[in-house]
Amino acid sequence: MRVNAGNLKKGEFVTFKGAICQVQKADFYSPGKGSALMKARLKNLISAKNVEYAYKSNEQVEVLDVASVEMQYLYKDNENLYFMDERTYNQFTLPISVAGEVSKFFKEGEKMFVYMYNDKPLSIRPPSSVKLKIIEAEDAAKGDTVSGAKKPVKVETGAIIMVPIFVKIGETVSINPETGEYTGRV
Amino acid sequence: MKITTTIDNLDNYKIYLQIEKAVNEFLENNNYLKIDLPVLSPALIPESYLEVFETEFKFFNKKKKLYLTPSPELFLKRLLAAGIGNCYYLGKAFRNNEPNSSWHSPEFTMLEFYKIGVNYLQMAEEVLHLLNHINNKVKNKIIKFEKWEKYSVAEAFSKFAGIKEKELFNEKLFIKKARNKGFNINNASYEDLFSQILATEIEPKLGINGRPTLLYNYPKQLASLARMSKDGKTAERCEFYINGLEIGGFCTELNDIKEQQKRFVDQLLIRKKNHLVNHAIDKGFIKALKYGLPFCTGAGIGFERLVMIFADTTSIDQLKLINIS
Repeated sequence: MRVNAGNLKKGEFVTFKGAICQVQKADFYSPGKGSALMKARLKNLISAKNVEYAYKSNEQVEVLDVASVEMQYLYKDNENLYFMDERTYNQFTLPISVAGEVSKFFKEGEKMFVYMYNDKPLSIRPPSSVKLKIIEAEDAAKGDTVSGAKKPVKVETGAIIMVPIFVKIGETVSINPETGEYTGRV
Repeated sequence: MKITTTIDNLDNYKIYLQIEKAVNEFLENNNYLKIDLPVLSPALIPESYLEVFETEFKFFNKKKKLYLTPSPELFLKRLLAAGIGNCYYLGKAFRNNEPNSSWHSPEFTMLEFYKIGVNYLQMAEEVLHLLNHINNKVKNKIIKFEKWEKYSVAEAFSKFAGIKEKELFNEKLFIKKARNKGFNINNASYEDLFSQILATEIEPKLGINGRPTLLYNYPKQLASLARMSKDGKTAERCEFYINGLEIGGFCTELNDIKEQQKRFVDQLLIRKKNHLVNHAIDKGFIKALKYGLPFCTGAGIGFERLVMIFADTTSIDQLKLINIS
């Protein structure tokens, strides 16, 4: 679908210099002289690097027809994440470097949305929150009652996060996978 | 569009008020007269790329088109020609077809001031004094306003974008360079590609070393209503940046009536080509210019963007108690 660059939105996919990129940020910008611009931050899905680019706001840009498909996350190895489309039983592979830091919070067997383009996985649509069990944590030192104090703990996927000191081993907590922040006890 | 009310921004809004007070204080102490102006006008001056809001005055079956002013320039220049002397406006301006973003709002507050008998570089010193005066009232911890970091446009394109002076001032070479960088040159003018490269490769590097950055001497294609420099290639125009964001600009005002009329026609043609609102042209403005605009420099500053620097916010809506977006 071709759109004016002025209508680009965060989350959409475009081709930029031959690579598929996801729009991370798109801000309208009028320099006063010359056409208005759309300043975009584009994340190259292969290199996972961000580039800044200013489109003319009336320039035509091809927004890729990307579907968001629910799949089961199976497992990962050193390089890739493996998913299965439960309707077709087809398996798909996505490099960890493309999925990014969020993959540290993926639990085997969980369902999540995978962005698909021409039947190939492009990236993951991170869930807004994940619930994970704490498997390693030190007890808070007695008398340590400073409000807002935090400690590092390990969750069941192996990721380390910071939680308030009253949270104990064995408890399940909710985490924002995009920031890695603790958001509450479940 | 919806209306959002929040008093969480009260601290930022109070900084807004403090800066408003500091600006009024500085300009009044330096003999500028504050002018209150209409925001509805039956005619405007043609500006090639600014889209306007149009509305209507109605009285029974009589109707008259009115436009919200995209800048106070048309009124202030009439007054300058009439001999008002140093003057300023701090109030609302309106630009259509510019959606809300972190640093844009269709309705915004503009500070515009004119000083008689100075050129653009002398005005740069005045603007620096103004920034310093604000900083004395509302301290910014990171930025010092004692001195500009200065680049001519040619220096900035060479240093940050690898475009040599020879290429910058030659349209063909410049467009070729832009194409090599991967910019889409179909239907793109020199001005468009200039802005795209400036926004992508240069602006993020400006005003980030603890000082505001002044960019000066723009290629003549981007002169707008600025006087030409003696080199014949550039116009006496400046823009200044803090944290990679353009805060304002100023230029030695063009007061050659023939050249002004020629540029108006150019701007009108671009408006037509881009299908912008075909508003009435303010003939009284042209008459005032014929009478004679004094030698002066005009400066325009996006007031919300200026406040963002001192309130340390990342978007305009964090300064407001009521937002419409």
